[in-house]
Amino acid sequence: MEKEISKLEEEFQKDLSLVKGGEDLEKLRIKYLGRKSPINKLFTQISHLENREEKALLGKNINSLKEKISSIIEEKLKSVEIKEDRLDLTFPSSQAYLGSLHILSIVNNIICSIFERMGFVVIEGGEIEDEKHNFSSLNIPLQHPSRDVFDTFYLDIPESNDGRLLLRSHTSPSQIRVMEKNKPPLAVISPGRVYRPDKVDASHSFMFHQIEGFAVDKGINFSHLKGVLTYFAKSFFSSDVELRFRPHFFPFTEPSVEVDVSCIICKSKHLEKGSEYKCSVCRGKGWLEILGAGMIHPQVLENCGIDYKKYSGFAFGMGVDRIAMLKYGIEDIRLFYQNDIRFLEQFYI
Amino acid sequence: MQFSLDFIKELVDINISPKKLSSLLTMAGMEVERLESKGKDWILEIEVTANRYDWLSIIGIAREISVCLNKKLKLNYPKIKTKPTLKKRKIIIESPQDCLFYIGRLIRGVNITNSPQWLQERVLNCGINSVNNIVDITNYCMLKWGTPLHAFDDDKIEGNVYIRRAKEGEKLITIDGKERELFRDNLVIADDKKVIALAGVMGGKDTEVDENTKNVFLEAAVFSPLTIRRSRQKAGLVTESSYRFERAVFSDYLECASQEANLLIERLADGKLIGYGKAGRKPLTKKKVISLSINDLNSYLGSNIPKDSIKKILSHLDFQVKDRGSNGLQIISPAFRFDIKEKVDIYEEIVRIYGYDKIEPCLPFLPFQLNQDELFEFKRKLRSFLPILGLKEIITYSIVSEKNLKNLGKIESINITNPLREQENTLRPTLLTGMLDTIMYNLNRNQRNLRFFEIANVYIKDRDNFKEIPKLSLGVSGIREEFFFLKGIVEELLNFLNIAQYEFREDSLPNFIQALMVVIEEEPVGFFGKLDEKVRKELDLKENIFYGEFNLELLKSFKKENKYKPFSQYPIVYRDISLGLRKDINFKKIGDTIREVGKEFLYNYRVIDVYRGKDLPQDSNFFTLRIFYQSKERTLTSEEVDTIHQNIRDELSKKEGIIVR
Repeated sequence: MEKEISKLEEEFQKDLSLVKGGEDLEKLRIKYLGRKSPINKLFTQISHLENREEKALLGKNINSLKEKISSIIEEKLKSVEIKEDRLDLTFPSSQAYLGSLHILSIVNNIICSIFERMGFVVIEGGEIEDEKHNFSSLNIPLQHPSRDVFDTFYLDIPESNDGRLLLRSHTSPSQIRVMEKNKPPLAVISPGRVYRPDKVDASHSFMFHQIEGFAVDKGINFSHLKGVLTYFAKSFFSSDVELRFRPHFFPFTEPSVEVDVSCIICKSKHLEKGSEYKCSVCRGKGWLEILGAGMIHPQVLENCGIDYKKYSGFAFGMGVDRIAMLKYGIEDIRLFYQNDIRFLEQFYI
Repeated sequence: MQFSLDFIKELVDINISPKKLSSLLTMAGMEVERLESKGKDWILEIEVTANRYDWLSIIGIAREISVCLNKKLKLNYPKIKTKPTLKKRKIIIESPQDCLFYIGRLIRGVNITNSPQWLQERVLNCGINSVNNIVDITNYCMLKWGTPLHAFDDDKIEGNVYIRRAKEGEKLITIDGKERELFRDNLVIADDKKVIALAGVMGGKDTEVDENTKNVFLEAAVFSPLTIRRSRQKAGLVTESSYRFERAVFSDYLECASQEANLLIERLADGKLIGYGKAGRKPLTKKKVISLSINDLNSYLGSNIPKDSIKKILSHLDFQVKDRGSNGLQIISPAFRFDIKEKVDIYEEIVRIYGYDKIEPCLPFLPFQLNQDELFEFKRKLRSFLPILGLKEIITYSIVSEKNLKNLGKIESINITNPLREQENTLRPTLLTGMLDTIMYNLNRNQRNLRFFEIANVYIKDRDNFKEIPKLSLGVSGIREEFFFLKGIVEELLNFLNIAQYEFREDSLPNFIQALMVVIEEEPVGFFGKLDEKVRKELDLKENIFYGEFNLELLKSFKKENKYKPFSQYPIVYRDISLGLRKDINFKKIGDTIREVGKEFLYNYRVIDVYRGKDLPQDSNFFTLRIFYQSKERTLTSEEVDTIHQNIRDELSKKEGIIVR
């Protein structure tokens, strides 16, 4: 028996020297340690022996051989390179299929959340409106040059008491709707689709998106308007962006403002002396117009049943498409509505 | 509006660079959109806002510059000559609401030539073509004073001059050579025989001043802005003249412009005034009296502008200012400022000159507000959830073509009465149009694996009224097992909304086959299914499209709050069962049986394998189900599970059409 054990060990050493890789090693393990291995066979032979001491000694020897073999294999396993199972790490990845939000929704969310941080709440308005809410209540006379910028789609629905029905040409009617129904204090933003009969080209679309915002309370003033819009622009673009508040005219605000940010593309390179650089986005002006705003005209407050002697407010409106185009360097507004998957997959949430 | 800097310099001294001037004007509300040098002159392209008619003139621009630069406006008012009186003809205003005041000057013996260089430059640099000395003079005076003038060839006017509405069907060939049919909305100038001008918009070809003209009839007038607006809209054109009349002209300057033109014609064309005639009444210009509190102003602006600065700014702007106590001012607006109506208008004047940039920004303490737009919040939640399922959001046009809708057999939609093009002439009553466009667009570009959603309104005609309904659309194409993918999406969606009690009902819907209606508490909330072959062929679509549409208001109304649901910690064990199901029988029968027998020990089941083979009977589908068992109270023994599983096997094998293998 002793002989058999040592012969087995020799055999094992011989086999071991032939092992080349992990697969050989696994074969070796099955051969010497598996259920049908010679070692197991030896164990069954122990029962044939009669001498108890012999039995114990043999058992001990077989066991030590088994342990030896198993520790050698284990040791060898660690050092063996598994060449056969080599994974080609340069193989193309399997595609994860990602969902995503439309970039206009993303920008909408970012803008809304900045204003929500300041205490504004979001209230959406309807897209089908009437002349009263789209024009008259906002101090826009039905026949006046100030209406020329608000070309409007009219609808074949019978006229209501509030005039002809139309697709809203801006989000400002939401401001009127909220003020008609609610008493101040109010601080609301209202995002949504708006429509104007504009011929479609790289910068025009008959459908686009706006966000309207306004706050009405006792003591709201022009410096608050500047504060809120400065906070917004710095949060949205970057903290080093500069703002320019220019006097303008809107029928529904007085004083009225147009707000520019310093060009986020060229960072006003043109201002450097001797620079010939002309930015294609700001056209060398160094400023980008981003929104219109102003103190709500007292007549507008009165139109909504709010006492303008007690309350004052500011309002602002911005084009989401335009702001998204500026921020992400999108050069054609049509990309938003084509929904080309190669466009969609560039933005997530 | 385009202005020449040299022209402006006739009226005010400018000691800063054109570039500096531009930014100064821009910051005062007169946005310079373009600055360009032209010879020695500079061209300023200025956006004149709709409230400032008075900025449509060199005087207006120069006055603004004089305020910004603290310079004097060098404006000389010409002495108005009204003698001799016009005897040759009468001026008759037949439509006094449309024309308040009309002046005609008959100037005889004019010599038509080209204008001198300086005059040509003035008009050219303001964007108007140089024609001849007479026409250029009228344009020069219009540019300077802001009141349009028109010169007729007097010898071509027959008899009196009438200002009246056109008769339907009357015709006029205008200076641009176009024959125009006229309507009641058009105000015209006519003589005894014919129409000679589209009043305030454009003169007539027949009475145009040309190289043979000897005598000129010079018109200046105040027309109703609304009348001119309607008239030029009807005629479909905008001119330098109509643009100004539509916004307003200052009647005090009317005489000045007419007089200055008269003088220039005498000087540059050797003409002589033969007769001055007028009709109507020069409208009275009203000066507004407004009292102002300095404190109110500063609290409205959040500023601290001292009284002295306010007074200085206002007097510069030609307002009369009087002290009314230590905190008050009484302000009288200049006659030409039609836009000044109330206090806030004065506030704006003060702050725009004082400088918007000098007001410190400050964040207000906004009040708590509890009213939330629940539907918006609901949509916001869906927008954050649906991308988790691998869907990409799309945004498509709400305005579609009626023709496309007809292809879908759609009934009524709300039409646009003034569409731009036929492709966009109606509001969509379904989101399907946008989804189909998107899928087709991407398939045509060899993109597969399309999974989209859109959240938007549809618009429904409701008798004489309308409804805007917020909807969710789902669309997939070019993936495997599309229907069951979409079904899974819908189940996940309902799960997300914690709607446990719902039913999928087979239904036949127009444009769809294999469609399931989603019903909650007997209310259909939406559907999903496969686009009908017929529609596909019509659209020339090669791939199948699976589409679903849901009413968001209804989904929101059934939404339940998400609460933690405890789950059993005891082990889950499973047993497999291979089944055949005859093709005319629904899987529902198997599912129902498993639930019925498995009762509280059933955890779940799913299909783990599907067999296809020629050796299998063709009338059935074969698959393996893995059924999971679990108890909420204890560990199930192997024998218990075997018993339940055997019961399920037995029960299933009794059912017709089900083969247990």
